[in-house]
Amino acid sequence: MSGEAKLIIQDLCHHYPDEYTGQSVHALEGINLQVYENEFVAIVGPSGCGKTTLLNIVAGLLPYREGRAMVDGVEIRGPGPDRGVVFQEHAILPWRTVARNIGHGLELQRVPKEETRRRVQEYIDLVGLTGFENRYPHELSGGMKQRVAVARTLCADPVIMLMDEPFAAVDAQTRITLQDELNRIVMATHKTILFITHSVEEAAFLGDRCIVFSRRPGRIKTEIKIDIPREQRVWKEMGTNPKFTEARDQILHLVRQEVTSDDEH
Amino acid sequence: MTSIDLQQTRRFRWKKFATEGAGRLIIFLVGSVILWALISAFLIERPDRYLPSPLSVVLSSADMLYKGSLLSFYSDTLTRLLFGGAVGILIGIPVGLALGLNRTVADMFYPLMNFFQSVSGIAIFPIIVIWFGNSDTTVLIVVLYTSFFPITFNVLSGVRAVPVRYIQAARTLGASRLQVVRDVLLPGAMPSIAVGTRLSVGFAWRAVIAGEMLAGRPGLGNMIFSGQELDNSAQIILGMVMIGITWIVLDHYLLRPLEADTIERWGLVQR
Ligand SMILES: Nc1ncnc2c1ncn2[C@@H]1O[C@H](COP(=O)(O)OP(=O)(O)OP(=O)(O)O)[C@@H](O)[C@H]1O
Ligand SMILES: [Mg+2]
Repeated sequence: MSGEAKLIIQDLCHHYPDEYTGQSVHALEGINLQVYENEFVAIVGPSGCGKTTLLNIVAGLLPYREGRAMVDGVEIRGPGPDRGVVFQEHAILPWRTVARNIGHGLELQRVPKEETRRRVQEYIDLVGLTGFENRYPHELSGGMKQRVAVARTLCADPVIMLMDEPFAAVDAQTRITLQDELNRIVMATHKTILFITHSVEEAAFLGDRCIVFSRRPGRIKTEIKIDIPREQRVWKEMGTNPKFTEARDQILHLVRQEVTSDDEH
Repeated sequence: MTSIDLQQTRRFRWKKFATEGAGRLIIFLVGSVILWALISAFLIERPDRYLPSPLSVVLSSADMLYKGSLLSFYSDTLTRLLFGGAVGILIGIPVGLALGLNRTVADMFYPLMNFFQSVSGIAIFPIIVIWFGNSDTTVLIVVLYTSFFPITFNVLSGVRAVPVRYIQAARTLGASRLQVVRDVLLPGAMPSIAVGTRLSVGFAWRAVIAGEMLAGRPGLGNMIFSGQELDNSAQIILGMVMIGITWIVLDHYLLRPLEADTIERWGLVQR
């Protein structure tokens, strides 16, 4: 990979203490991972293997003790605007309009009003919500809410964008549209993205690189490079793209190895 | 326009008037007064003693208006309500917020708060009278005390009910703790703040009336009380009607618009 590493994770382990039983849950073990500038890294793995744990640590929402995690060379200590997060359940604020949700990050950074308005409009247009600026979230569909969440994160201009199964809660048709759109957005903004998903197809469709996790305690099992130019990544044409089908089948095979029937949950 | 069209438009306007906002309120009030007049005129044996007619209540109010006592009673009572209630609510919101933010502090103060919440405003009345005499201060303290608890407990639970995801989202956008309070916790607690305010003002209203009666301070409560001593039922009913109408007006023009502009607009509650 060219460019510099934006996110560096070294020998990261995590144990959740369990206050009731006194035992702890071993969620992550010896994670080493680098995400480079403009790179889209997808993480797949069986349920409960520690994907969300990893993302929360990088987001600064979960303190860690073993190993290191750095963004732009700075050790992660708590949340910050350099790491934007798109959660599965959109988590946009119901009391803010679309425009004010998207501009929230800039507002918090005290960016001047005029510039905020300009940038907010830019991202509203980018995610296709033109005309909905003054609507409240309860007036939007699930897919539109998730677009607001993506635009909100992009607008704050983070060094790296973290996405935890962002499209898992929308219907299949909307999901395909959103995936196509995310591709277009990545091409337009050149963002660095760490993307977690359950869907092997989604990982193969979106990722420059796909990291496959083992069962808990989560370790990196393998990584697969998916060398398809962004311009070619359109769902209409993917079904017949041999590189895509090959990567998808390979990832699927690896994930299947991890999910055995006796501890599937 | 044909006459049928005209008729339909007229009927439509009438229906709109009857089912919305002020129109609905007026129809309800007029209907109640008519019903009251009928009961008083045909069902009650000695209406002047047991249920004076609307007309005699109006005459009594005209009399008191003329003497100047009605408006001064009314403004005394309203001042106590709004002042005591507002201070109670303005203290209650930050206290509830602080308790909602910090579990340790909340656990410490919760039993104490629970204790005093159960001791109603009327129950503390005698001790306040011993401290401050039969004064306006006494009435105000009881009103303030009474309005403090509903808002405080509601803000406390409202803050706790704000989804953690909203807080996390704001933090990852770069919000400081103070900004989280301003942008997430306060608006997120708005449904509970609205419920708490309604309860607080409602309780404060009762406390004012009861407080005036017990402390003998001039006002609506006292006017009702002395109506009984003077055997003046019209005066009693006049006081009751004014209390009720004041509440309806407060609710309609202060509390409801507040809710409509916030929690309803945001889709946090359905109407
Ligand atoms: N707050 C917590 N306290 C204790 N254990 C936890 C906590 N959060 C997660 N765990 C445990 O840590 C393990 C990893 O959880 P995590 O949420 O990271 O998995 P995941 O890979 O994101 O799963 P999924 O794909 O289902 O979202 C799980 O076994 C889970 O039960
Ligand atoms: Mg997860």
